[in-house]
Amino acid sequence: MTTAYSPSSDLVLDEAPRRLGRAQRAGIALLVVIALFALFGPWLVGIDPARQQLERFLEAPSLAHPLGFDQLGRSMLARLAHGARLSLSLAAISVLSAAIPGTLLGLLAAWRGGWLERVLAAFADAVLALPGLLLVLLLTAFTPGGFWPLYVGISLALWVEYFRVVRAASRILLASPHVEAARLLGFGPVHIVRRHLLPELLPRLFTLMRFGFAGAVLAMSALGFVGVGLQPPTPELGVMMIELLPYYGEAPWLIGAPVLLLFLTLLGLLLLAPEREAA
Amino acid sequence: MMTNPALAVEDLAVLHGEQALVRDISFEIPAGGVFTLLGESGSGKSLLAQAIMGNLPSTLRCEGRVAIGGEKTPAGDQSSRHRGWGRRLALLPQEPWLALDPTMMVRAQVAETYAVVANEPRSRARMLADRALASLGLSDAAHKYPFMLSGGMAQRVAFLATHAAGAPLMIIDEPTKGLDADRRGEVLELLRSAQAQGMSLLCITHDIWLARALGGRLAVMLEGAMIEQGEAAEVLAAPRHDYTRRLLAADPGSWPAWPAPAVAPDAHPIVQVDQVGKSYGRQALFSGIDAHIKAGEIVAVSGPSGSGKTTFGNIVLGLARPDSGSVQRAAGLALTAFQKIQQDPGAAFAPRIRLRQSLLDLVKLHRLDWGVLDALLARMRLAPALLDRLPHQVSGGELQRIALARVLLMKPALIFADEPTSRLDPVTQQDVFALLQEHLRDARCALLLVTHDADIVDRVAGRRIDLGR
Amino acid sequence: MTTISSRAPAWRGIATALAQRLLQAVLVALLVGTLCFFMTRMLPGDMAYRIAAGRYGYDMVTSAAAEAVRLELGLDRPWLAALGDWWQRLLQLDLGVSQVTAEPVMVEIERQLWPTLRLSVLAMFLSLLVGPLLGVLAGLKPGGLLDRVTLAVSVVLRALPSFLLGLVLVLVFSVKLGILPAAGHDDHGSIVLPALTLALGMAAVSCRVARDAMVQVRGSAYFAFALTKGLSMRQALLRHGLRNVAAPVIAYLGVQLVYLVEGVVLVETIFAWPGIGHALVHAIFGRDVPMIQGTALVLGLMFVLFNALVDTACAFIDPRRGAGHAA
Repeated sequence: MTTAYSPSSDLVLDEAPRRLGRAQRAGIALLVVIALFALFGPWLVGIDPARQQLERFLEAPSLAHPLGFDQLGRSMLARLAHGARLSLSLAAISVLSAAIPGTLLGLLAAWRGGWLERVLAAFADAVLALPGLLLVLLLTAFTPGGFWPLYVGISLALWVEYFRVVRAASRILLASPHVEAARLLGFGPVHIVRRHLLPELLPRLFTLMRFGFAGAVLAMSALGFVGVGLQPPTPELGVMMIELLPYYGEAPWLIGAPVLLLFLTLLGLLLLAPEREAA
Repeated sequence: MMTNPALAVEDLAVLHGEQALVRDISFEIPAGGVFTLLGESGSGKSLLAQAIMGNLPSTLRCEGRVAIGGEKTPAGDQSSRHRGWGRRLALLPQEPWLALDPTMMVRAQVAETYAVVANEPRSRARMLADRALASLGLSDAAHKYPFMLSGGMAQRVAFLATHAAGAPLMIIDEPTKGLDADRRGEVLELLRSAQAQGMSLLCITHDIWLARALGGRLAVMLEGAMIEQGEAAEVLAAPRHDYTRRLLAADPGSWPAWPAPAVAPDAHPIVQVDQVGKSYGRQALFSGIDAHIKAGEIVAVSGPSGSGKTTFGNIVLGLARPDSGSVQRAAGLALTAFQKIQQDPGAAFAPRIRLRQSLLDLVKLHRLDWGVLDALLARMRLAPALLDRLPHQVSGGELQRIALARVLLMKPALIFADEPTSRLDPVTQQDVFALLQEHLRDARCALLLVTHDADIVDRVAGRRIDLGR
Repeated sequence: MTTISSRAPAWRGIATALAQRLLQAVLVALLVGTLCFFMTRMLPGDMAYRIAAGRYGYDMVTSAAAEAVRLELGLDRPWLAALGDWWQRLLQLDLGVSQVTAEPVMVEIERQLWPTLRLSVLAMFLSLLVGPLLGVLAGLKPGGLLDRVTLAVSVVLRALPSFLLGLVLVLVFSVKLGILPAAGHDDHGSIVLPALTLALGMAAVSCRVARDAMVQVRGSAYFAFALTKGLSMRQALLRHGLRNVAAPVIAYLGVQLVYLVEGVVLVETIFAWPGIGHALVHAIFGRDVPMIQGTALVLGLMFVLFNALVDTACAFIDPRRGAGHAA
């Protein structure tokens, strides 16, 4: 008998290698540029964002100072760079503070179940009862203008999402046939998490991080804009926007800069989405 | 006087660019007659049905001639056949429970055809729908939603919905797929009653039992061509082509019975199941089941669907706890001595890890010899290149053999096979069971088998455990 | 077989969902109440003094008056007992008096509730009018012109969250063109910009949800079956397509409610729309804890109520949800 290998699998279509679409590459490019600006901008620009030179009130952009000066004679470019760094670093810290504990606790809750899961789930439900921004607002009421309520509020609101998603997905995965097979074959928890859970969870976690990052940047600027977040003279994007609004007629580029920066950051994060995602 | 045949197909071919996926198809169905297309997946029978319907995707093109009820059209003119959908030509699709709108009540879905396609006034359409449902014993289902129906009931509802406008020709796509073997009789009855009403049927199936029972004319398809055609009884009794012979031999009804394993009468059982019971909420699945399985024995677990056969197997494996009774393994057995083969082989592997990596992990964990695995894979005629793929890139039959190799690597004392071949083609199914038999014999491994195919139980199992009350 | 009414699962599903929402409402009240309680304890400055000053005016307040307030509000008692008192007052709907205006919180809220409701309902209505309609049309021809245009516009709009979009609209319409009034609430025109801001943001998302749902329905087995039964494309779309597209769109409304409630707060503040959101932000400015509690509570409960309505609508459209099956 000839060892004829079954030919059927040759009919299986060759899968196109997963390449990044045009939109995704644009998104990555945008984010890299903005991240570089936030990271190295303040150092490259070299000007103190708080230094006021009142005689340079609303000075128009020039080659030496591409964004000119604001209403208190401060270098707009310097303020923008510092503002970008502030927003992005706070967002990054919040997301990490939320993602790591949220994922670990979600895994733990799904795996062990019992009273631990119930307590965590109840706590998550309590936090979720309110829309995130409302929760952050309430927390900022404790020390208006402070940094800590913002950080704690945003991290808390984000943490719940990770916990919920990881717990729900892990529960389903732990009951799936391939995990069952792995258990029968003698594999332990570490292997199951590494090969069976994480590969499935990572895409979802990545999506959450995108949204979380966008949400954090947004919450900071929104609260800064309405006046209950960080306060002037802190160079924060939202604070800058509300400060420069009255000068829109005379110097539209001043308010345009933070608006554009925020818009491009959010756009970059949105474009990172794989094609199939809805929202 | 000669009446036009219900369907006449001449030189039909389906092409993708220059490559012919289906070619040289010519056959006729007389008015009121039955024609069966018998073949495995990939044989092109579904493509052929789609071409006749006029439902091919735009990337494919069609050549030849199709005549429905005497009216000839070039096969490539799909839109002319579109116009006949429901009134001249009907289709009962595969897995009909998916074909019903989940948000619409059953009666409304049947009445809709009467009202919209047959142009009956609304009240009369509803009455006709009620009458049709009653004729198939579905009066109770009239106000239910599709997700509340069983597979067979959904099939009958879909039949009524597509038949309501009175098309004289119906194409039926894999009617027994996904249904338990004990339901096959109902399907046959449905088709016979359709024929009794004067309909002509074109039935596509891989189920030899159904082909035999339907009678009429039969054609066997392989790789896009009809390799044999004739009266069903003749072809099935005396096949001329090699492949047809193999196909018929693959039917469990033609398998030779497995020899009973040599079991010493006083040998200690490898697992002892005493008075085991399990309930799901308030409903008791089974109770008071005893089973003492000895090394090398082959035991079939039977019972009506939903009776908890999978749960019972999981209890024996130690994956689930019984609500009453006890399960005791023989002393000295490794933790991994009991293994399982699943119905859906793709579900048993981590979906995003390459097969080679999964197997390497296993070999490393238990410090096994990769060479043993290599030998197993070769005996199962699996190309080593397959392992570099992801689970979903490999066909069902091959994946099930890899799963079997993986299980055998653990040198199990008991394998629980839960419907291991119900998703596979007949020839592949025969293959898997042959391999299973070979290895079980060599390793003196016991087998606990769940299958809905009574023929397989008959040929393979030494004894049965019946969970039904 | 007994004929079980097929409507029964739907009612059971609705009852469970409503019970969950009731629990959520209780959680909201507890959360908001507890946070505000601790606010009174932790805000800088002597709370009692400030409340008394709020009542009698800064010139007239004496330490005796402050002491009286302290006793009255139980600020001298151990915090656990005081917390209990706080909750009790909350349950009795005794929301206290605003520290800034000295009006009862209830009265203030009643005045502000109506404008907020008008704004939210109008925004929701506008978004449902535009979003799903464009989405369904785009989904009928995936990859076509409308699909690509709506995708591009949707991405841009989603990168402009509510406050940013509101700001841009103000800049464009009010400042540059001088057409629409930016702030104030007296003439009818002034609801247009805030409602438009919220509606555009929500429509951007509901458009894509509807589009994806339409594509999925078009490719579904039951849609194909409707066509092979003999229905025309138009009949199949109207009879099977729309209802099945509506199910995920309405379900997604629940997610959009978060955007709506958060957006209401921001948009009202930007456009000085005299609603609850605006009042909340002002209360935070003014450290007016009773108002903070009142407005946050109302917003939170509004969120729960809208969610409950969406749940009910879902259960009616998709019977599988009502029966507790996964849709």
